[in-house]
Amino acid sequence: MLRVVAEGPTILPLSFKNFSRKAQELISIAPAEQLSPSNPLRESMNTYAQLAGIESGYGYFAPNVPSGYTLVFELHYRDGRVEYEVPSVRSAAAELRMAGLLDNIGRTPYDELREILLKTLVQSIWRKHPELQSVRAILGSLILPSVREFEQGKRESYEFLYAYDFSLQDPPPKTNPH
Amino acid sequence: MRVKTRLPEFLFPVETDSWLTVLRLGLGLQVTLYALSLRTDWTYLFSGTARKVAEALLSLQGHFIPSLGWFVALAARLGVPEETVLLLAWLGLFVSGCALLIGVGCRFSAIAAWFLHLCAAKSGGFLSYGMDNFMTIGLFYLMLSPLPDRASLDWRLRDLRPKNPELLGFWHRVLQLHLCIIYFFSGLTKCLGSGWWDGSNVWRALIRPPFNVIDPEALVRWKDFLPLAGILVCLLESGYPFFIWSSRTRKIWLFGICAMHLLIGVAMGMYLFSLVMIVLNVAAFGPGLIRPEHARISMQPQGAVS
Repeated sequence: MLRVVAEGPTILPLSFKNFSRKAQELISIAPAEQLSPSNPLRESMNTYAQLAGIESGYGYFAPNVPSGYTLVFELHYRDGRVEYEVPSVRSAAAELRMAGLLDNIGRTPYDELREILLKTLVQSIWRKHPELQSVRAILGSLILPSVREFEQGKRESYEFLYAYDFSLQDPPPKTNPH
Repeated sequence: MRVKTRLPEFLFPVETDSWLTVLRLGLGLQVTLYALSLRTDWTYLFSGTARKVAEALLSLQGHFIPSLGWFVALAARLGVPEETVLLLAWLGLFVSGCALLIGVGCRFSAIAAWFLHLCAAKSGGFLSYGMDNFMTIGLFYLMLSPLPDRASLDWRLRDLRPKNPELLGFWHRVLQLHLCIIYFFSGLTKCLGSGWWDGSNVWRALIRPPFNVIDPEALVRWKDFLPLAGILVCLLESGYPFFIWSSRTRKIWLFGICAMHLLIGVAMGMYLFSLVMIVLNVAAFGPGLIRPEHARISMQPQGAVS
């Protein structure tokens, strides 16, 4: 709750946002939060929460529905050709998960983690196209039109966020042709 | 003094096992469909670096949180490749789902389904979403509840009986309270967003890929109903813990919540998410709603269980 209000925007006045931030800071210095990650008590609590499925909050699509992310691979072949491809999976169920993965890639504040996750997706592209020389992964933020904008003809658009270049010097074996 | 006597009565009510039958059947179906839905992408999603990164981050939370990496590491010592291990994990999940559905080896199947699904959910941490949490919650309560139930083949053919039938009411109550907490906070945090009051969040949720099942051109014709839909979602969720307990409003609220999840499933393509939510709701508050339950379980604990 405090995180939702602190990170906003919400319908509450700005003073609530400041109060929530302070309250969050106070909670973060609570004795349990001060324990080191390897502390048996903290580890036991974390483990129990993960086993019971209660480790995360329940604010799905709250307070507002966030924008999504999109990823495009720019494939550079050895003969100079350039093609574009988006990450693909076979089933609708996996497509929902892929959207979740892109959200995680887009939202993470850690550059290294973002790069590692993009690299894992690039690897699957590489297996599919072993003749590639390099791949540029372009991550964009999805901008959704409002109802009024949609009626005026505006459609979803993308805003550039990051681009990562992966040069492919040691191609992995073609074992998983997904 | 009143609290002292009323609290145990509230936490340990005398119950039939109808709710457990609903939970077992529903989660059995859920686990089976979950496995089938990911059949073609299973190896792709759970192999390679992404899994290793998710598991490395998970190890910061605790060293005893299960993951598919445990099996992969163990099998590597025996020379079994990762793909075979993943295939066996998928098969185990599918079989445990089917076993739950028909009620064979209920306890073992529930533990296996919970464990294997948890391994997959944690190994695919970056790929997980709300549905995985709710499956873990449901399977966690299922494996702890006094199985088998009367509708299972374990009861009917193998004559097995639960060890602690007196805990039926307790686990039912825990599930009910947990759902109330979930909906209350989910509803309250939605109420704080302006987009739920003017309907813009409903619009955004429905046109955002990959949830854009309905053509926005068709959706825009219903734009006047979007604010109503948003307010209804807030009302249903935040009002859940207040209206679900009373026998007068329970039917309306349960029907409303289930209808909401059904619409989410159809309009956003989140079929498995909807199914698990409907199963948890019907198991928690459904039994006895249409037809009052008379038969109470009154049996002595037995030694032999599955």
